[in-house]
Amino acid sequence: MKPIKVSHLSLAFVGLILFALLGLGTLMWLELGQLTSRIRSQETQAAHQEVSDGLARMESSLRDRVEALGRWDETRQQLIYPDYYVMWRDLRVRDAGMLPAYVSGVALYDKQGHILVEPRGEFMPSELVGLPGRIQFSGAGDDRHLYVFFPVHADPDGTIPLGHGAIKVDFPLQFRLIRAYRYADIQGLKIQLRAQASGSLAAAISRIDYDTLPNQNLANIKEVLQVAFMRLLAAMLLILALGAWFFKRALVSPLNRISRDIDKLKNAPGDSRSLVPLENPMRVQELENVRRSFSEYHEKLALLRKDLEKSSQDFFDQARHDALTGAFNRRAFDEDWRALADAGYLGKCALLLFDCDHFKTINDSYGHGVGDLVIQAIATNLTHALRTGDRLYRLGGDEFATMLPNSDTPSAEAVAERCLHHIQSHDFRRYGLMEPVSVSIGIALSEHSAFNLHELHSQADLAMYSAKRPGNRKFVFYSGDIDGMANLVSNIRVNAVYNAIQNADALQMHYQPIVALPANHTAYVEALARIRHGDDLLMPGEFLTIVEAHRLDVEFDLAVLRSVESDMRIGRLAADTGLSINVSPTGIVDESLIGALLDLKEHQAQRKMIIEITENALITQIYRASENLRRLREVGYLVALDDLGSGYSSLRYLSCMPVDLVKFDISMIHQLVSDDPKKRLVVGEIANIVSANGYQIVAEGVETEEHLSRVVALGFNYAQGYLFGR
Amino acid sequence: MITIRLGVGMLLLAFMQLAGWPLARAERVSMTMRPDLTAIAEYRAGRADKPVVLILHGFLQTADSPVIFSLTEGLAGEGYGVLAPTMTLGITHRRTSLACEAIHTHTLNDDIVEIDRWVQWLKRRHNRPIVLIGHSLGSLTLLAYLDRYAATPVRKTIGVSIMEGRLTGNPQDQEKSILDLKQRIRNGQREPVRQPYSFCSTFNAVPESLLSYLEWSPARVMAMSRKHKSRLIYIMGGRDDRLGPGWVEGLVKTGVTVRIIPGANHFMDGEYEFDLLESVIGELKGLRVE
Repeated sequence: MKPIKVSHLSLAFVGLILFALLGLGTLMWLELGQLTSRIRSQETQAAHQEVSDGLARMESSLRDRVEALGRWDETRQQLIYPDYYVMWRDLRVRDAGMLPAYVSGVALYDKQGHILVEPRGEFMPSELVGLPGRIQFSGAGDDRHLYVFFPVHADPDGTIPLGHGAIKVDFPLQFRLIRAYRYADIQGLKIQLRAQASGSLAAAISRIDYDTLPNQNLANIKEVLQVAFMRLLAAMLLILALGAWFFKRALVSPLNRISRDIDKLKNAPGDSRSLVPLENPMRVQELENVRRSFSEYHEKLALLRKDLEKSSQDFFDQARHDALTGAFNRRAFDEDWRALADAGYLGKCALLLFDCDHFKTINDSYGHGVGDLVIQAIATNLTHALRTGDRLYRLGGDEFATMLPNSDTPSAEAVAERCLHHIQSHDFRRYGLMEPVSVSIGIALSEHSAFNLHELHSQADLAMYSAKRPGNRKFVFYSGDIDGMANLVSNIRVNAVYNAIQNADALQMHYQPIVALPANHTAYVEALARIRHGDDLLMPGEFLTIVEAHRLDVEFDLAVLRSVESDMRIGRLAADTGLSINVSPTGIVDESLIGALLDLKEHQAQRKMIIEITENALITQIYRASENLRRLREVGYLVALDDLGSGYSSLRYLSCMPVDLVKFDISMIHQLVSDDPKKRLVVGEIANIVSANGYQIVAEGVETEEHLSRVVALGFNYAQGYLFGR
Repeated sequence: MITIRLGVGMLLLAFMQLAGWPLARAERVSMTMRPDLTAIAEYRAGRADKPVVLILHGFLQTADSPVIFSLTEGLAGEGYGVLAPTMTLGITHRRTSLACEAIHTHTLNDDIVEIDRWVQWLKRRHNRPIVLIGHSLGSLTLLAYLDRYAATPVRKTIGVSIMEGRLTGNPQDQEKSILDLKQRIRNGQREPVRQPYSFCSTFNAVPESLLSYLEWSPARVMAMSRKHKSRLIYIMGGRDDRLGPGWVEGLVKTGVTVRIIPGANHFMDGEYEFDLLESVIGELKGLRVE
């Protein structure tokens, strides 16, 4: 059933009241009508009784009157001596008060019924028909006048007839005068009288018509009741109107207002405003309670909704934010990328990929807690370095990204430099780190809107890997020159790396000679890995980044060990040839690799074995690394610090770890032939210092005789480079 | 002593009247004066040893007038035969006083005739002395009767409060009126004349009627009284204000025995009716029944 509007309900209520009022009015009207009818009936009966009484009184009066007239001495006088009858009839009888006003005529008749004298004015019958022995009544023929005939006797006993008398009575006049009439309206009295004489007045009347007087009291009462009812009705209507107004103002309007407000709130559910109280002096408590309750309910609902929205937003944010750093996550990255693509901003968009250098090593060396702090600090600094509105996304463990719509190379470069500056300015030592933390930034610029994320991401990835390469700037824009790296990081190259780790045949070892100075004879060889990739060989620079990126350092180190062991087993390396093996910073703290090295040494007890740890690799677990190196030395390994001058803390390594050999990086060796004497001096001084401290020093990258002469001059113990073999 | 005895008797009479106990059986008698005119009278036969009295009422009165009723009852109580006729005044069976304004056609002579008829009626019934008692103008009527019927058997006539019939005004006006009435009669003008007469402020009478009463002037009364003084006794009220000046003195001068009841008015009403009765009885005691 359709709900009824309160306004309709109130209208129905008003209509019902009106109907009830009209019903009551009609009932009252009918009751009043019945009462009026009853009173009318009673009044009609009373009028009838009045008329009957009037007639009786009239007859009695007339009888008394004519009897008195008949007994009057002067009446008898006229019958005896009628000489002055006319005077008696016209004057005396009236002067004596014998005839009242309603008697319009009088006449005396002799015993035979002959009138004594014919009247001059008022007609009286000349002869009496049927001499009345008693009083008789008859009509005068005009339905107004009544004759009353009476005998006149000489003696009081009525035994001596003397004559007759008659009076002519104005019936209506006497009827009016005979008594007061309260109910009968005798003003319009109509009578019909019989011409025949009758012994009674009633018998002489053939018909008498009269009306009932309008009951003035009843009319007044009726009028009063009508007026009272009309006033009551008016008052009720007024009260009803006031009640309707009051009802509308106090209930309907507030209800409608509440309903409208509720509808409005329903259509605007997020509106947390309360229901505004009505500016109405007549406020109904219950409605106000409803309004207040609903308002409070709505406010709570709005708060709940806010909470839900907040929670939803939180969920949304959490779903799109990285819990550790607060930066946006990959999901947000993908969505924003699609949004940019939909908005057409990909035409000139720069994608910057950030990757923390050596983060795995940091993580493994200082623990995940420190690693998390480093990541948070990187995220914070990158965020501060970005422009307002730019978003920082954490795509993976230590990999961040940002998108710079409507950006070009200078602006992207400025952002990248600012990011690097923030990172370099941050004091990571507060987290217990002894080494500097850096990030590599790969930047790819979209050239047209058709660029897809994958493509741009790949380019930025390549650029980022390029930035990681030693000697490169820490931010690199993607260009065609580094397309080769793309191949390395392509799935095929990665598969090749994995294949090399799992299949020893895929890994081909090259042994570069390291000559002793100044004799220039091969002292030992350094095992350099190559990966077979079809007909090609992947050089270390082409796959080590993949190894490092995919955290395959230990596995790759083990694969190299297996390959070297195989070469030694098959005799590819002479039994007396010393062998230097590169071990990744991760591997040096890995127990399995240490175990493998110990096993290898156990089988090659006679061979000179050297472990090279790269200086440019961050070794965070110095103590453990030192311990492992000490264990390796105990079994006969020598420890060489590789790439001195290109990494972080070579001198720290020297002071903390057991090192036998120090290999100067090619960049330092090439400084020896620099035109700048200061550079040459520094390298020489370092070499002297290192050498002076008991370390055997090795020059890397000796490619020319000049290089060789220089290193020999500086007292290097060993030299390595293309001059001696690739 | 007599006075005391009569006084006690009157008191007894009054008591019996008040108690409704008729002192003597009253009889209503009638007499046809003409074929169409019947007169009625109250009659009590009385004791045979006492005179019979005819009591005539005053002008236009009836036998039921108080003074007549009182005398009738008083005398009847004393055993006197009493006849109290009502003059017909031309109205058969007249029972009520006739209004002054009524059309008066009766004459004094008509009254005298009717008195004579009643006297004859008494004479036929009794052999006792007949005494006439009249009141006011009734006394005048009886005087006229005595003058008219000299041979009447009436032994004594008592005129109570006798007065002449006169018009109000001076005697000259009365003479003028008499002349006018006579002229009317001669001219055959029979229309009633309205004149103040006696105690009537408007006496509506035909000329013959009025003239018959007016002819009895004071002088005539005095003359007739003197003429019949042997059979006349007048009883007058000491304070009768209806009489003309010197009227009683004139009566006395006529030689008629005039008795004055001191303090009584014209109608002898109240306590004086007993004095009147006592006086009347005193006059009647001297009459002896043969």
